Amino acid sequence: MNPGLLQHFLLTLRLNFRSRQSIVYGYLVPVFFLIAFASVFRTDSPLLLPRMGQILTISILGGACFGLPTALVAERERGVWRRYRLLPVPTGSLVVSTLAARLVIVASAAALQLALARIAFHTPFPAHPLHVLLGFIVVCLSFLGLGLLVAALAEDVPAVQALGQCLFLPMIMIGGVAVPLSVLPSWAQIVSGFMPGRYAVAALQSGFDGSGAGHAFDYLALLLIGAAAGAAGIRLFRWEPGRRLGRRALIWVGASLLPWIAVGLAAGTTGRLNPPPAPAAYQAIGDRLIASITYDDLPGDNELATPLAPPFTDGGRSSGMDVFAGKLKDWAPGHVDDAGQAVRNLICVASIADLAEDPREGVIARTVFTYLEASYREEDLRKALAWVALYPNEGTALTMAPDLGFVRPVGEDFVRERSALYARKFLGRLLGRIKAP
Amino acid sequence: MSVRMLNKRYGSVAAVRNVSFDVAPGEILGLLGPNGAGKTTTIECILGLRRPDSGAIMIDGIDALADRDRAKLRVGAQIQSASLQDKITPRQALRLFGSFYGTSAKAGELLERFELSAKADAPFDTLSGGQRQRLFLALAFVNDPTLVVLDEPTAGLDSRARRALHQLIAGMRTAGRTVLLTTHIMEEAHTLCDRVAILNEGRIVALEEPDELIAGSNSKVIFRTARPLDSAQLGSLPHAVSSRAGGGGWTVVTSDANRTVVGLVRLVEAGGNELLDLQIHRPSLEDVFLELTGRPLSAPEEDKESGPS
Repeated sequence: MNPGLLQHFLLTLRLNFRSRQSIVYGYLVPVFFLIAFASVFRTDSPLLLPRMGQILTISILGGACFGLPTALVAERERGVWRRYRLLPVPTGSLVVSTLAARLVIVASAAALQLALARIAFHTPFPAHPLHVLLGFIVVCLSFLGLGLLVAALAEDVPAVQALGQCLFLPMIMIGGVAVPLSVLPSWAQIVSGFMPGRYAVAALQSGFDGSGAGHAFDYLALLLIGAAAGAAGIRLFRWEPGRRLGRRALIWVGASLLPWIAVGLAAGTTGRLNPPPAPAAYQAIGDRLIASITYDDLPGDNELATPLAPPFTDGGRSSGMDVFAGKLKDWAPGHVDDAGQAVRNLICVASIADLAEDPREGVIARTVFTYLEASYREEDLRKALAWVALYPNEGTALTMAPDLGFVRPVGEDFVRERSALYARKFLGRLLGRIKAP
Repeated sequence: MSVRMLNKRYGSVAAVRNVSFDVAPGEILGLLGPNGAGKTTTIECILGLRRPDSGAIMIDGIDALADRDRAKLRVGAQIQSASLQDKITPRQALRLFGSFYGTSAKAGELLERFELSAKADAPFDTLSGGQRQRLFLALAFVNDPTLVVLDEPTAGLDSRARRALHQLIAGMRTAGRTVLLTTHIMEEAHTLCDRVAILNEGRIVALEEPDELIAGSNSKVIFRTARPLDSAQLGSLPHAVSSRAGGGGWTVVTSDANRTVVGLVRLVEAGGNELLDLQIHRPSLEDVFLELTGRPLSAPEEDKESGPS
C-alpha cells in the first residue's frame, strides 16, 4: 500500500475536526438525538437500552447521507480531486481512504453516544458488545455505500442535502429508525421492510438487549443494498468539478434500488413484515434482560408518584381493602387470555388510582401486588412485570376502570409511565432486589 | 518528452488532431492557442487525466499511455481548476502529496524555495493568490520531476507576483528540467519559452523559437509622399507582398522591411518626389498569433475545449 494513503486517511480525519460544520453535524446532532430519545422514551427501563439500535442507526445514517457526500462533493467541486488525479495511485484507493476516515468519524460519534448514555442516563453497556461491533460495521458499510452514491449523483453541496433527505427522512419517519415499528400503522410497517433502516436497527439492537447476533437476514439485506449502491457510486464517481452525468446514471440508480425491492419482497414472503404477535411478547423476555433492570432510581413508596403501602398483616381487612380485593379478583380485564396483558391491566389499576389521587392509592397498589403474587407463577409474573417495565408503550393501557370505581379517565401516557414504575417496584420486591424498609 | 500523432475527440468534436512535438531536457516549450484550440486536452492527455483516442506519449523513456502510474512519478504539474481543502496548510499539503512519492521530508526545503515558510502553517483559505500559486508550483516539485507541466501558471497574478514566478520558472530551465507551459500572455511566452507551439482548432500550426516566428512574419512599411504614387510602381518594390492606400498615404506589406525601404527611397528620388513620413511596423508574437489563428489571444481560458458531458 502506498504510504500516502495512510497520510491521506489521517489528514482527512484532522481536517474533519477543524471544520465547525463537521463537529456540529458529526457530534452535536447525535448527542441531541440521544437526549431527545431519553426524553421521549423516559419510561424505558433501563433508560435508552431498548433504543440504542435506533440511536446508533440515526448517527450512522446521518454520517453516511450527509457527512460523507458533503465532504466528497465539496472537495470535488473545489477541484481537490482533480489535483489528486495527478498522484501515482488509483483514484479509487483515495475514495477508500476517505470512506475509512468516515467510518472512524462515525464510530467516534457512536462511542460518544454510548459513553454519554452510560454517564448521564445510567444505560447499561451492551449485553453482547462484539455483536454490536459486528452490526455496527455491517450497517456502516451498507450506509456508506448509499453515501457514495449520493456523492456521485449530487451536482453540488445543496444537492447533497436534497438527495440525503430523500434517504434520511423516510427511514426516520416510517422506516422504523426513529419512530418505533410498534407504533407505526401496518402499511408503514410493510413499507419499512423495503428500506434498510429497520434491518440496521434490528442488527444493532440485538447486541444490546437481545440474544446477541442479529438475524442473518438483516446482515444480508444491509450488505446487498450497500454493495449495489456502492458499486453504482464508484461507477458514477466524478473526480472533476462541473462534469455532468449522462443518462446511464439513471440505469445505475435503478439497478442500485433493485436490492431494496428484493429485500422487501423476501421479507414479506417470509413473514418478517407481519406485526409481532403481541400476546406472547412478555414470554420473550430473558433472564439477562430482567437482570439488567435497575431499581435505584425509583420514587420512594411514600412519595407523590407511585405510592405503595407496606405489606398487609391482616389480608387488608383493617383498611377495608378486602372488599376491593374481591372485586379485583372478579375484574374481567384481569382475566384476558394474554397473561402479560392481564398483568398490565392490573398494574394500570394501581396507576389510575395514583393519577386520580385516590386517598387509598398506596393500599390499592399493595392490593394489586398482593393479588399478582397470589395469582401467577413466579416465573410468568417476573417476565410479565419486566415486559411492562421495559416496554411501556406496548400492549393496551387502560385509562379508567368503572367496575372498580374509577370512572373518570386519566391520560394514557401517564398511565404507561406510572405502570412501568410500578412494574419495577413490584419486580424488585419479587426478586428481592428491593428490601422492605 | 515526445508526443506523436495525438488525437482526441469529444463526440463529433475533434479537440486534438495529429499533434506531435518534442521537448528536450532544459527546454521550456510554450503551448499557445485561442480558447478551444486543444491546449488543455493535450496537457490532460500528457498528465494521464484523459486517454487519447490514438497517438503516443513518451516521458523520460516511459510509455505514458501504457504505464500511466510510472510516468506520473516523473511528472510534476500545476493545472487549472484544481484546488485544496480550505483548512489544509502548505506544510500539510506538501507532506501529504510528498508522502505518495516517499518525499514528505522535503516539505521544509520546498517551503523555503517557494518563499512560503512564513505561511507554512496558515490555512489554505487565508493565502493570497500569489501564495496559492506558489504552493501549487511547490506541489509540482514534491517528486523532483523531470517533466514539469504548467497550465497558465501566472493567471490572475499581479505583475510583481508574475515576475517572481517568471524567475522560478526560468530557474527550472537552469536545473535541466523539461518544462511545458501554456499561457495567454505573449510577453511571458516570448520571455520564458525557448520554443512556442501555436495550436489552432486542434492542430499545431507553428512550432519555432519566438524570434524565428517573428522573423518569418511580414512587416509593414507605412509612408506618405508629397505627390501621389502609382500603385503599380509600389508592387515592384523589393520583397513587397502587397500594398494599399489609406489615411493619406500607403501601407506596403513586406517580408524584408529594410530592403523594401531602400527600394522605396530610390523610387521616390527617381520620380522627383519627396518622402514626408515613414514608419516601419515590425510584428510582435501577438501579430504572428493573429496571423496564424485569425483570433487574438484573449483572457486566460478555463478548460472550455475539453470535457464530454
